[in-house]
Amino acid sequence: MNKQKSINEKQQKKPSLLQALKKSAFAFWAMTPLLIGVIGLVGLFQALVTPRMLSSLFRGNAVIDTLIGTFAGAAASGNPVVSYLLGGELLAQGISLNAVSAFILSWVTLGFVHLPVEAEALGFSFTLYRNILAFVFTVIIAVLTSFTVQALG
Amino acid sequence: MKEKEKKFAFQGTYFLLLVLAAYISLFFFNSNMSLHALQKSGHILLKVLPIFMVVIIFTALLNYVLQPKQIVKHLGEKSGARGWLVALFAGIISHGPMYAWYPLIKDLRSQGLRDGLIVVFFYARAIKLPLLPLMLDYFGTGFTLVLSVYILIGALLQGWIFEQLARKQGESIGDRPRFMW
Repeated sequence: MNKQKSINEKQQKKPSLLQALKKSAFAFWAMTPLLIGVIGLVGLFQALVTPRMLSSLFRGNAVIDTLIGTFAGAAASGNPVVSYLLGGELLAQGISLNAVSAFILSWVTLGFVHLPVEAEALGFSFTLYRNILAFVFTVIIAVLTSFTVQALG
Repeated sequence: MKEKEKKFAFQGTYFLLLVLAAYISLFFFNSNMSLHALQKSGHILLKVLPIFMVVIIFTALLNYVLQPKQIVKHLGEKSGARGWLVALFAGIISHGPMYAWYPLIKDLRSQGLRDGLIVVFFYARAIKLPLLPLMLDYFGTGFTLVLSVYILIGALLQGWIFEQLARKQGESIGDRPRFMW
């Protein structure tokens, strides 16, 4: 009898699929100004910063270019396919593999444009520490990848 | 119910107003560029809308299937190796821009999702399964394989370091949202 009662209570507490869907849509709706804002910012950035501008940033110095690649990838936004195309062009221009790896990696893992949204959703210090870690690791992974690929021949 | 209605508030309205102000300012300097940017944003919105729908449905399904206690068990502080693997896998298969996933992550976090796993999830997203053939074509098998392995290791290390830093700082890194626009 008691078991049946506790099962019924559990069933009562569990939301229906419709309730869960409403809750989820409601939570998403609350974030729409933030999401529309970031989409607007990405559009603005894509219109103002062209791929040619990004590739002109590289100087030909492997160390500096790795940092430039990380910053440029973090500042850029858009489909990762664009980063591969640009990365291929940069390699053909003689830019180091370090820099190109950093560029394509930071394109997808870092995003200056997304920072306000991430901070709003997950907290300022969370965003700060996560992005610093991602930045440092992007540089390290880019250097290690280039080194390993060259070592493997 | 009334309490819930009172608690509802849009997030990022000032941020949206700032972006609008940027568009209006640009319009006065270069109207063509402003319209071009608006067009780009429209395209992005159309592309992202289906992903938003997926995220809403996915969040609802997770809330329906998993109770907060189960989320804590599978993705909480004591989730163990399984939690890290789930975060890695989720990061690899997740699609669309990073910001599309913030509502889901925020919701799961409020129910006990571990911060280190969020860090792992976001970095593992660097591996784009649908784009692997393109990467192979542009950069070769060796590069793609080595980069992917380092991304996975790097993602796990970042999650671990993040949690160590949070512990040292008395969990202050894993704060709840307080950076209001």
